[in-house]
Amino acid sequence: MIALAERAPARRAFRSGLLAVLALFCALLLPSLAARAHEATMAVITLREIAPGRFIGQWTMPPADVTLQPIFPAHCQWNPPELVCGERGLTGRLSFMGLGSKQSVATIRVVPREGPAVVYTVSAAKPTMMVASEPGTNLAVWADLADTYVNLGIDHILRGIDHLLFVLGLIWIVKGGWRLVKTITAFTVGHSISLAAATFGWVGVPERPLNAAIALSIVFVGVEIVKLQRGEPGLTARYPWIVAFAFGLLHGLGFATALTALGIPQATLPIALLFFNVGVEIGQLMFVMAVLALMWAHRQAQALLPRWGAAIPAYVIGSVASFWFLTRI
Amino acid sequence: MTRLARRAGIAGAVALVRRAGSVGALALVFALTPGLAHAHLVDTRLGDFYSGALHPLTDFEQVLPWLALAVLAAFQGPRTARWVVLAFPLALAAGGALSLVLPPPPFAPVAGVTLVALTGLAVAAQLRLPLAALLVLAVGLGLLDGYQNGAAMVATTDRFLFLSGVTVIGYAFVTLALGCAIAFLAGVGGWRPIALRAAGSWVAAVGIMVLGLHLVSRGVG
Repeated sequence: MIALAERAPARRAFRSGLLAVLALFCALLLPSLAARAHEATMAVITLREIAPGRFIGQWTMPPADVTLQPIFPAHCQWNPPELVCGERGLTGRLSFMGLGSKQSVATIRVVPREGPAVVYTVSAAKPTMMVASEPGTNLAVWADLADTYVNLGIDHILRGIDHLLFVLGLIWIVKGGWRLVKTITAFTVGHSISLAAATFGWVGVPERPLNAAIALSIVFVGVEIVKLQRGEPGLTARYPWIVAFAFGLLHGLGFATALTALGIPQATLPIALLFFNVGVEIGQLMFVMAVLALMWAHRQAQALLPRWGAAIPAYVIGSVASFWFLTRI
Repeated sequence: MTRLARRAGIAGAVALVRRAGSVGALALVFALTPGLAHAHLVDTRLGDFYSGALHPLTDFEQVLPWLALAVLAAFQGPRTARWVVLAFPLALAAGGALSLVLPPPPFAPVAGVTLVALTGLAVAAQLRLPLAALLVLAVGLGLLDGYQNGAAMVATTDRFLFLSGVTVIGYAFVTLALGCAIAFLAGVGGWRPIALRAAGSWVAAVGIMVLGLHLVSRGVG
């Protein structure tokens, strides 16, 4: 009895400390991340062929980082704005110097004298790209394409704090087990459908209202967490997969903006979409696993939030998402 | 005969563990040798938050004592151990913030290696520490490692994101390691604490050897 009485203040102190840290974390980190969510980090250079093997280059979307420079195959001579590749033409390895934290993706758009324009996308994850004379038949080019877009998908989901926050909210409500598997699968199916639809141009939503709606979806999840903790299970608690699927459709449109902005040629679009989506799923799975592992570790260490403070994460999620909503409309 | 064979098997396993420990310890000594240490800002392509999160994981000198701290905390039981989940990340953040305003203290390398040795020794001895002592160790380690990580930033690094990454990975790493260690100790078998103590002794040995090398190199210099 005495031992129990002695433990109670320690438990209270620990929980108060945990809450204080959580509040500090949220106060400092999340608003800052809010402002940084989904920064445009792409640069585009267009090369127009003026004579066989001779191009004129121009930044059509200038880089945020002035140190970013294209690196062309060794047989090409780059004296901005002119690129001379001779008889071999623009074939071989393309890359960019300076890809990193400020500029994650750079695109080279080649406009030949005859035929359609071809777009090559280089990301910091996949800093080189092979250019073949016939990209459609070269297996190495296709492998490069897959490598590039899987990494781009992982980049996009891990940088997209709003998508991650929504998934965190779902995990918070559903907790774990098969229900969580079904919920995350429903979210995946939903965003895959709308990602494909938007990438192929079947549906189109203006970016600002779309991002505002994505923020609202996170507010909704925050409200649902609070309702659940008050003993009033909402729609998400009762039918999590339906909510996950519906909002998955919304978030998929958001994913598509990252892909459509690259201006990928129609011929390579399906494979690019497939690998981009694979990358998004890998990144999402990594996040879900990390959150579940941390929840398990907290239970093992008995480092849990007190009952009276259990709603704070939901309010934090809701507040941050409301802030995003206001800044995006 | 069966018993003899079992004993021979156990002896073989113990010898193998010892050999692996020696090789591992030697490898770690080389990895931690001060002369070989250098700044290594990791470019993760995912922004400075992830650069900060990956930075400590590329350095044995930091990961090893974090692991030892988690095991030491687990030996104290969950009620005491859980305070480390709070104190350590906060100290990391504070250490990182200090690196922005203070010049590198001359004692930092020696203090860092000393803490590795002390934490390893405490694990090897399965020391029962009062909460305050455990917190002093966690905060000391957090401040030093936070400072070291903060000092690795370059002019173009987004400091807030980088230090947030360091803090979050410190929290995640120590929490996961603590959870695993507590779950491991809760399992059946008296060998479990012994295994963790053996691991602690390797950490202590590495810390002591690196400290010796460090002091010798300073004396020669």
